[in-house]
Amino acid sequence: MRPCAITGVGLVSPIGVGYDAFCRALAAGTDDSQRVFRGHPTLLNPERVADPVAAECYDFDAKKYLGEKGLRNFDRLTKFLIVSAKLALEHSGLKRDGVHQVPPDRIGLCSATAYGSLEAITEAAHVAELEDPRFLNPNRFPNTVINAAAGYVSIWEDLRAPNVTVVDGNCGALDAVLSSETHLLYGRADAFVVGGGEALSEPLYLAFRKLDVLAEGSRISVPGRRESQGMLLGEGAAYLCLETPQSAHRRGANVRAEVVGYGNAFEPPDSEAVLVHVSALSVDRAIRMALADAGLRAQDIDIVASAASGIPHFDAAELVGVEAALGPHIAVAAPKAIFGETFGAAGGLAMACALAWFDGVRVAPLVTGKAPANPRHIVVLAVGYYGNATAVILRHGEAARAS
Amino acid sequence: MSRVYVTGLGVVSSLGFGRGAYWKSVVEGRSGFAPIEGFDTSGFDRSVAGEVKGFNARDFLTAAEARRTGRCSAFALAAARMAVEDSGLLPREVAGERTSVIIGTTMGEADVIGELEQTWIRRGLGAVSPSRLPLYGSTLLPIHLARAFGARGMVQTLPAACAAGNYSIAFAADLIRSGRADVVITGASELLQKLQFAGFVRLGAVAPDRCQPFDKNRKGLIIGEGAGIMVLESEAHAVRRNATPMAEVGGSGLACDAHHITRPHPEGTGSLLAMREAISRSGVTPDEIDFVNAHGTGTHANDKVESLVIREVFGDRPVPVSSMKGMLGHCMGAASALEAVACVLTVQTGIYPPTMSYETPDPECALNLVANRSATGKAEIVLNNSLAFGGYDAVVAFAKPGRLPYPAPASSFSQ
Repeated sequence: MRPCAITGVGLVSPIGVGYDAFCRALAAGTDDSQRVFRGHPTLLNPERVADPVAAECYDFDAKKYLGEKGLRNFDRLTKFLIVSAKLALEHSGLKRDGVHQVPPDRIGLCSATAYGSLEAITEAAHVAELEDPRFLNPNRFPNTVINAAAGYVSIWEDLRAPNVTVVDGNCGALDAVLSSETHLLYGRADAFVVGGGEALSEPLYLAFRKLDVLAEGSRISVPGRRESQGMLLGEGAAYLCLETPQSAHRRGANVRAEVVGYGNAFEPPDSEAVLVHVSALSVDRAIRMALADAGLRAQDIDIVASAASGIPHFDAAELVGVEAALGPHIAVAAPKAIFGETFGAAGGLAMACALAWFDGVRVAPLVTGKAPANPRHIVVLAVGYYGNATAVILRHGEAARAS
Repeated sequence: MSRVYVTGLGVVSSLGFGRGAYWKSVVEGRSGFAPIEGFDTSGFDRSVAGEVKGFNARDFLTAAEARRTGRCSAFALAAARMAVEDSGLLPREVAGERTSVIIGTTMGEADVIGELEQTWIRRGLGAVSPSRLPLYGSTLLPIHLARAFGARGMVQTLPAACAAGNYSIAFAADLIRSGRADVVITGASELLQKLQFAGFVRLGAVAPDRCQPFDKNRKGLIIGEGAGIMVLESEAHAVRRNATPMAEVGGSGLACDAHHITRPHPEGTGSLLAMREAISRSGVTPDEIDFVNAHGTGTHANDKVESLVIREVFGDRPVPVSSMKGMLGHCMGAASALEAVACVLTVQTGIYPPTMSYETPDPECALNLVANRSATGKAEIVLNNSLAFGGYDAVVAFAKPGRLPYPAPASSFSQ
């Protein structure tokens, strides 16, 4: 992979909106997670969803960032994505005071989601089932299409280079990195807004409750630890601005970090009857592929931002894969302990954590190993529910400048 | 940088299964339209679609595969089996880490989510089966295919709405060119589903009983369904196993209108950029393009803007143009994949598919249309156009193997 410059980040998360708020919350440590997982999520009707535990973006108000007008037909996912993109573009300087610093037809968008807008699909299904399909709201119906939210981002921010929505479950936001790098490599754009989003909704929550993987009631969630009894859901969106080194240099942008390696693998289960499964081999291979891609050795990696979510056998297999690729002493962190499982957004938020760690925020919570004070290389992982895994390697901006 | 070849094609469509049956129907100008059987259309005042009839998943899938797939994945897997068989790839040649699966769609497993929602709403949460839940997720389309063929490289779904097929093929070709895969199984799949049908009817986009692309009296689109899958291979891989390439995947153009979520930009800015990029990235000039397989949905806005863009690209030269949606309808995510399959067959046979139901010329769509009957002509380099929901534009060139200049190396981020 040819290194791409990361010049900005924008996000919406249960622990804060915007990179600075996010870093402050990370620095405050896991005390904050007690707060974000408390309280009844306003998105879940207590009559239908008794006693839920989830990290909702409680204080998120799109109007604060986008103004009053034009938001009426947007669903929650769309608002997350637009706000994140706007913040990322401003953070990177690709836009200043709403004006493009790089022509709009040279900025693309590559955005992941795992489940799209279940909110919109459910809303439409209720109208169709309980009323009449002829009463579907034509202004809201477009939200049921998976790429609608990304389409709205391109309109709001005027981004005219390729607009790609990626679906690869939990791996989507990291896969979006390769997608963008490939498009940058072939000169389809100078910069890409890259990442993903996922919105909490009743059907999403109920589906995972039904699958019996949530740490509700007396069950505890400690991602990456053996005693964990399930995961907790979060929501949000995170975008990075990825640029060719030339574009970043040309406009004198602050290169916060670089993406230097990518690896992706799929391993089927042994049994034909099985659908959901996790593969340590996939994790191992994805990391090795990313190392080879970056021209790095295992000992060059300082920290792993793992995908551990609290589902015990998934976390265990992931750790086996990580240790196989990087050895038993590697420092492994579990960011999802802080804001929950966010599916399509997960890779984006994990990359944002890595940037925060580069910027000196304490690495936490650690599952194994000891994190060095000044990390240079961080592996960010995503693990899918069907045997797929993706690894991305980020290099600290100062290390990048020195090399 | 490697050339990328198409070495196998697979089709599930309202016009037939497999490339032979499909192409025969296309060349004869047959219609895939019929009253919808999959769901009750009473109350819609629209009841016709390009529905795939007589598809029995078990004809193509194992019992275990049929159990874990929805209709959309089943279409994709069936078409992929045909494509892999067509390519002559041996199981050991298609299996492994160097094979990726990239699949496009608009709604993915819409029938699975539809069924889950219906059960939840009508019968309550208790009636929803936990074993059905993991079957939803567009993530699964390429997973099912990767499992079937032992592919262990990248699995990815690109839900680029009605440009999904072209987006997938373009990205798959780039993956091979950048050396990240030797073989990619790619294309797109879509199914006809009640909620989506209702939505399009509500948007006022659906015609009563036929689709008339570029006709003055066109009344909108007819919804279709199906899957078009192709096997792409690097030149080295194809040569090593002595395969006969069917066509070369040329350059592609991807852009976004950033204008309106459902309507195209009135001047077609993104579409123009995408067409020009596909041509220039193929290393050729507009004069060398022999045929354009247009998006041509039969809606007023699309056909007008697309005509404007085609005239802008080709100037006074009357390049032959056709839209297949008069036969297939608009197969959403699968549309540009099915049309890409036809482009490969056009390159192979020199036959241009017809634009059916064309009666009254529209001065706003002054194109050299291949109207109502297929035609033969030069077909060394053809373009496949797609314009989609969300303002997406994607155009891919297909050419006779060896006809295009050798691809230029990647930019290395050069200025």
